[in-house]
Amino acid sequence: MLIISRISRVLSNFQHLVALFAGACVIVSLIGIFSLPLAFEENQLYPKTLDPASSLYPYDRGGVPFGPTEIVAQYPENSPYAGYVTTYLTPLSQYLADHTHYLGTTIVAHPGGIIDEILYNTRGLDTVVETSILFTAFAIASYLYRRREEE
Amino acid sequence: MPDIGGSDLFVLAFGDILHYFNPYTATLFLLALLFTGLVIASRPERQLDIAFGGDAYYAKMTTVSEMRFRRFMAIACGLASMGAMASGDIFNFTLFVSLVGITNVGIVSAVRIRHVLNAAYEYGIVAMVATLPLFGGAALILGTTGTLSIQALAAGGFAVPLVGKALLALGVIGEGMAPFYAAKAEMFRAPGAPYVIMCSLSSLLIFLRVVEIVITI
Repeated sequence: MLIISRISRVLSNFQHLVALFAGACVIVSLIGIFSLPLAFEENQLYPKTLDPASSLYPYDRGGVPFGPTEIVAQYPENSPYAGYVTTYLTPLSQYLADHTHYLGTTIVAHPGGIIDEILYNTRGLDTVVETSILFTAFAIASYLYRRREEE
Repeated sequence: MPDIGGSDLFVLAFGDILHYFNPYTATLFLLALLFTGLVIASRPERQLDIAFGGDAYYAKMTTVSEMRFRRFMAIACGLASMGAMASGDIFNFTLFVSLVGITNVGIVSAVRIRHVLNAAYEYGIVAMVATLPLFGGAALILGTTGTLSIQALAAGGFAVPLVGKALLALGVIGEGMAPFYAAKAEMFRAPGAPYVIMCSLSSLLIFLRVVEIVITI
């Protein structure tokens, strides 16, 4: 038997799938271990410092309260207002702020609230994608749960 | 750095995250868009099994609730693959890829056929485990270069470690199973054609995109 047909026979059985993938992970990890040490780039775009002496440790994310704080960005020209919190209001948030007095208490509780917006402008759509991943996972889980109830 | 995607056609800047199209990714994006439109518009197929030696056949019905859920998951899968095609940021790309993996599992998880669910279970385990090399690769690239922007990395001047690229590609392969369709064939036996084909199309798209990323950066 040709070796390629042997390989394809092994691959065609989906019960070998996990073992195959685990094997590939092991091989790549071994290559990774042998290629150590990898140099850490000191000039990080999203710097993070931990100061155990700080009274805010470990929540001290840097920055000076009521003082100027420089925000590092990959493309500073795209976000000239990075750090100015209220510049990130979405049209919905702006509408709520214009027409009610209660946006301050709901600011993190609706999509496009201020917290979302800061993350959105500095580093990403990733917060949106993360929440949608969670949402999708919950949708699948609830569907499976309700299907069991139906049976 | 080799530029296999061609020059940029369009760049949309969201702060630090650039979304861009070059001829290569624009083609993939249009494919995902077209197929998502097809999924929205089409109705599920009805599988017929002929009983040999007679005139009888079995018609497999897809219930409305099952059809709805799978259509929703297929549309979410199309949106996630479109995001993965357009994203110019490695971390966002990995997030979109993991969303594709989750929705792929969701598309087949609504089926009530035992051998299909068995295959989907094995595939789900791989998709879960694959998040480790996927995000590990992105983290390695960030740690060793200090940036995640594909365009900044493609401009040169960064030494992206080979193992970071390998982990990224391995993670995408695990999420989508792209080159190993034989293993997914069991899942494709599920009735309901356009939704199940979304699994294979999205995994092919994310695989093609990660090839472009790995060669470009």
